[in-house]
Amino acid sequence: MHQEQIAPAPSEPPQPELPGPFAVGRYAARLQQELRKRARVLLIGEVAGLRRTKVQSYFELRDGDGAVPCAIWNNELEKLGLPEDGLRDGAEVVVAGGPDYYPGGGQASPSFSFRVIHVRLAGEGDLLARLAALRKALQAEGLFELQARLPRPQLPRTIGVVTAETGAARQDLLAGLDRRGWRGTVVWAFAPVQDRHAAPAITRAIQDLAALEEVEVIVACRGGGSLADLWAFCDETLCRTVAMLRVPVISAVGHQRDTTLIDDVAAVACSTPTHAAEAAVPLDCTAARESLQRSAAALENRSRGAVGERARHLAALARGPQRALQRQRHDLNQLVREIRAAAQRRVEERRTFQGRIAMVVLGRALNRAHEAVGSARTRNRRAGDSLQRAGTSSIRRRREALDRAAVALRAHEPERTLERGYALAETMEGKPLTSAEGAAKAERFGLRFHDGSLPVRRADG
Amino acid sequence: MADQPKSYESAVERLESIIDRLDSGQAGLRETLDLCKEGRELVSYCAGELDAVGEGLRELRLDELAARLEEAPAAPPVEGESEAG
Repeated sequence: MHQEQIAPAPSEPPQPELPGPFAVGRYAARLQQELRKRARVLLIGEVAGLRRTKVQSYFELRDGDGAVPCAIWNNELEKLGLPEDGLRDGAEVVVAGGPDYYPGGGQASPSFSFRVIHVRLAGEGDLLARLAALRKALQAEGLFELQARLPRPQLPRTIGVVTAETGAARQDLLAGLDRRGWRGTVVWAFAPVQDRHAAPAITRAIQDLAALEEVEVIVACRGGGSLADLWAFCDETLCRTVAMLRVPVISAVGHQRDTTLIDDVAAVACSTPTHAAEAAVPLDCTAARESLQRSAAALENRSRGAVGERARHLAALARGPQRALQRQRHDLNQLVREIRAAAQRRVEERRTFQGRIAMVVLGRALNRAHEAVGSARTRNRRAGDSLQRAGTSSIRRRREALDRAAVALRAHEPERTLERGYALAETMEGKPLTSAEGAAKAERFGLRFHDGSLPVRRADG
Repeated sequence: MADQPKSYESAVERLESIIDRLDSGQAGLRETLDLCKEGRELVSYCAGELDAVGEGLRELRLDELAARLEEAPAAPPVEGESEAG
């Protein structure tokens, strides 16, 4: 380190024989330069006392033996793409960087820090971060939907199983299948499920099972453990293989669903091997047998019922015409009775009505007759009186006129003329001769006098 | 029945629809008899499928199967295996 020497004051007490004194500001700046020259390293520890300002985040990186104050620019931190809340108190992290020193100023305090240029989560946090990144990538490729879209048989005859040969998962799976009433064929593909060889072995086992035509569904199961224990089931190659299979894969890894990546790409993710057995054989075989027996009985009932019912219907139809005829006859008789009754009622009504009308008319006629008789009697009486009176006077007048006519008649009687000396010339037949010419033509004629007739003969000269 | 069912579930689905149709009372005699005949065949098919997974658990090992396939590649893959469990 290059340092500038400052001359000591002559009156000062003796001091150790050291370089300096130096101006502290310049010393601080030189210290900063020297620290920044140190090689950058990785440190691992636990985050404590995390606090953020507008531009930097500060925390201490600790372990059981000590701690280092750390600082990272916020824009650097954001570029790292850590999971949300990945950098937090208690998180185990690996930081990259080197020592740094802030020299401070007239008012600002100096401080030492480990300038962090990169952070990654370590341990469980590291695994989770890697898992999150891988999950995001596979999901973006659409690998989560492929298995879920595969049709799964309700009643597979053959099931392939990938698991550890000695694990409890094997027995749990068998117990689950037995509870389903399923006693088909299981093809075991035993594989290590935890060490570094696990992922390739599991991948190969699943591929081999899928290659068997008889295998209709594959179960991959393992007991519980930490994420590190289950890490083989997060292997990218394994998960890509599962996603691309045409045989549905059921995962039951650990005791929680959606912990490992295989849960995301599998057709079904289960929490236990027992659940995996139910997913592999969705049909409860015992219940299905009972249901099938009911269906068979229902079919037989419907079959017999359909024929018997129609036979009864036919028999009923055969009796139908006779019943219909009887019904029609009955209806007809009823109608006839009703018509008769109606006619009778109508006649009675008309008779009654006409009787009432006749009574009214006759009453009125009788009244009029009585009135007419009264009037006639009155008129007759009056006429009688008139006739009586008229008759008496008429007889008298006619008698007087007759007397006068008799007198007149007598005055005009020929006999009276003959009595006065006149004679009547008449033919021999008694017809009067009223002219001389007539008398001249008659050869004979008579002359009647009042006391007798004389024959006359024409005397020609 | 015109065709063999594709799967147990499709057979059961068809069987349920047949029983529903019969229960509706709308099927004529000829249709009823045809449906009953088809239903009996479906019941027989389903019973066969259930029998196939009801006769006894058979456990095979993939590695042994692979070894046998290598020895006799022409043989059917799961025939002749001894039952276990």
